[in-house]
Amino acid sequence: MSASTAPFRVRYRRSVNDPDLRPRLLAFQRSWRESRDAQVRRLEQRSEQSFDELRRNFAAVKDHTLERMDEYIAEFRANAEAAGARVIELATADQAVDYIAEVCRSRGIEVVVKSKSMVSEEIELNHELEQRGIAAIETDLGEWLLQLARERPSHLVMPAIHQKRQYVAEILGQELEREFDPDDIPAMVASAREGLRGHYLSAGAGLTGANALIAETGSVMVVTNEGNMRLATSLPDVHFVTAGIEKLIPTWADAERQLQLLPRSATAQTLSTYTTCITGAQPGKEMHIILLDNGRRAMRDHEPISDALRCIRCGACANVCPPYQVVGGHTFGHIYTGAIGLVNTTFHHSVADAAGPQGLCVSCGACETVCPVAIPLPAQILDIRRRVHESGHAPLWERAALRLWARPRVFNALMGMGALASGMARLVGLARRDHLRLPLPKRLRWRAVPTLPLRSGQTLIRARSSQPTIAPAPANGQAVDLFAQCLADRLLPSTVDAAARLIEAGGATVNLPEAQHCCGLPAFDAGDWDTARTMARQTIEALEGNTRSVVTPAPSCVISMRAHWPQLFADEPQWRDRAAAISDRVHDLAEWLDGPGHLPSGCLIKAGSDSWTAHRFCQSSNRGDDSARIDQLVERLTGEHALPLAEPEVCCGFGGLTSLAAPEVGEGILDRKLNCIADSGCDTLITNNPGCVIHLRAGAVARGSEHETLHYAEFLAAQLPKQPTSSSPPPISSLLPTLSLPPISSFLRKQEPTNNHHQ
Amino acid sequence: MMALSDRTALFAEGLAAAQGELFPCTSWEDVWRYAVSLSDEAPVVSPAAYEQLQRGALPDVNDPLRSIADRAVGITEAALAVAETGSVLLIEPAPIDRAVSLLTHHLIVAVTEQDIVDELADGFRWLARQPRAAAYATFVTGPSRTADIERSLTIGVQGPSRLSVAVLA
Repeated sequence: MSASTAPFRVRYRRSVNDPDLRPRLLAFQRSWRESRDAQVRRLEQRSEQSFDELRRNFAAVKDHTLERMDEYIAEFRANAEAAGARVIELATADQAVDYIAEVCRSRGIEVVVKSKSMVSEEIELNHELEQRGIAAIETDLGEWLLQLARERPSHLVMPAIHQKRQYVAEILGQELEREFDPDDIPAMVASAREGLRGHYLSAGAGLTGANALIAETGSVMVVTNEGNMRLATSLPDVHFVTAGIEKLIPTWADAERQLQLLPRSATAQTLSTYTTCITGAQPGKEMHIILLDNGRRAMRDHEPISDALRCIRCGACANVCPPYQVVGGHTFGHIYTGAIGLVNTTFHHSVADAAGPQGLCVSCGACETVCPVAIPLPAQILDIRRRVHESGHAPLWERAALRLWARPRVFNALMGMGALASGMARLVGLARRDHLRLPLPKRLRWRAVPTLPLRSGQTLIRARSSQPTIAPAPANGQAVDLFAQCLADRLLPSTVDAAARLIEAGGATVNLPEAQHCCGLPAFDAGDWDTARTMARQTIEALEGNTRSVVTPAPSCVISMRAHWPQLFADEPQWRDRAAAISDRVHDLAEWLDGPGHLPSGCLIKAGSDSWTAHRFCQSSNRGDDSARIDQLVERLTGEHALPLAEPEVCCGFGGLTSLAAPEVGEGILDRKLNCIADSGCDTLITNNPGCVIHLRAGAVARGSEHETLHYAEFLAAQLPKQPTSSSPPPISSLLPTLSLPPISSFLRKQEPTNNHHQ
Repeated sequence: MMALSDRTALFAEGLAAAQGELFPCTSWEDVWRYAVSLSDEAPVVSPAAYEQLQRGALPDVNDPLRSIADRAVGITEAALAVAETGSVLLIEPAPIDRAVSLLTHHLIVAVTEQDIVDELADGFRWLARQPRAAAYATFVTGPSRTADIERSLTIGVQGPSRLSVAVLA
């Protein structure tokens, strides 16, 4: 079994144990980003259109073609056949293999030279032809190296990016029976001429893919850099084209639109070296154009997935993907790699093939921002996860954990026990910097385990008197519901309290809705929509029945309520309306402080100057939410400027359950982030999502970094005058209500201070 | 439409960015003399370039039908060039038309300055109107390249390793 066809867990372990992969892919991602961004800026200037306009225009062309697929296939076929080609529509991978093998058999063809074709990878053509006694020889250098090593591509455009030059020297040495110096890359490249020229001359057929099929003339457009495709289509007498039906576009003008986006997004080139357009069979030769379905019509008819058929195979989604950087494409994908591979594998291959890597995606949303055809990949991945979950491929521990999480009493009881255990650990000196000093196994040592504070955020708020108004905000005098977020309430109580104080500083009063727990995001993220619905219903019930604004320090919950709830309740109109009534009045705290709860600029100026920088919660940033720009908010309120931070929007690696399911991925991404933070030289790192705070803080403690990690609410509220705690309830009592003893809990609640502002 | 000299300058910029070289000249004789100066081995020529060079009555021009694989220098002609991208458009319907541009190490492509268009879209518009040219048309942007081994950009893989564009004034 080759390196890339092993079961997922085996591939995962191999990739995380490869010490060279991570740094190589990190260097690649950073240099691609820089050159691609420069290319896109030039394109925007020249065309006087934004990248978003350009990609949406071309996406509209693709959508139009997909809607009228059969008409365009007919037009393409008529024109290509008039020019002497044969057009064959085939439904399955097996049919495509059989067709090619049969043409070869009937013409006596024993060798096929291949230019790069992802469809041929999709149908595992090389292997299948080999079984039938036909040699398929890859002629793209990277593909050839993979073939010699019996591997699959690990990237759509840079197929052999995982191979080290030492390894390349070894496999070339075996093939060509001479020594290669691993440091002499030009010599290794030059050997392709030597190794492949004979094959071109002996081949009876050449096979290429297609970047576009132009219906108005029946032409095939192929974009390459090496020159091998032109050789493979010039020397042999038979030309096979293997293309998915989604490659059709109506006109030459559309082909040009595609070229504006494709090379810039793929290799950050203005144009690839060779853009070749072939129309029909050349005199005395044969051209067979195989239009493959293999799950594509099923994709088209499946609403959240159909947009994935716009894909032009540029690989950009992998080039910005933080987990891809850690594990590479053999693990992050199946045959198609990167975010698109997490989506289309289900349709071209199987749910089982798609299942393994799903848990690696951190849902940061970076892929969608660079996709040149605006495919909503993050939403599609969540849809695929649901299928994976429903087909029973999700891990058992995950399902069990989510069911527990969905039960507030169990959740609270566990958290209460955790808090007690943390208290004991503190007493016996097993805690340092609010994290436990535990002998962790090596693969988990990168992240310290946080202690659970004895009092929750809501308890802290109830136990103090209200914060005086520093400047009346538009919402002055209003009552506001605070949604604490389940994680923050227990793990970051001072953040929840700080959020309440900032709301109060604008003159609003803070109400803590009873029975608030979890919006359902963890379950939704894991594809467990039933559990997510249960959690969302609890939250809706806890928050409805009034018209107060709901404010939360957790932007992830806001995304969940605004974007996920409508999906969860798409088939339940009543719940959909109840959900919408909540999500219409929910605000992220940063949004609140710039909007209805506006605090005036410079109102929180500090005495001493702190050096700080900000990590913007990736999901909000990548969705284009203004509220993600917490550095600007903090600058406005404190008058202090953030230190520059490289890659401020790249995920921190928390990724919900990802850092639990795939700790090496969490570690790898966190490491990238912490290095950027260390380079910034900050004393304090602020960020805006509680998950990021917990993850970044635990990582900083584990590596012994000196900087402090804070939610911006806490950073800002530190400038507010401290409010005395009106009474200090014994710690145990604050835990008791969580131990599911209703009579005592209701009794205790009555005993709590009844501040006017806590309605 | 930009001015001719601006277009040529922009083309030169795009070509240089793609590691190609611009060679200004006034006649096919200049192209031939340049090609001859590059190597001891006689240049090989494509059928289109052969026709042009024959008009100049250069007696020692090779017939294109001779073996041309891996020869040092080759000459061919482009239908047009694209200022935006630094590309030249080769129209090569038959394999013999392609032989020079496929197999020589240093490819010289001659193009008339008037045939430089502003943008790739102009090139595609031209092609869309030329069904016969679209039988096998290639926009070539610089010499062949790969970055398949450790992302190290290497110029010259299976196609030419040098590309000079002779812009005929």
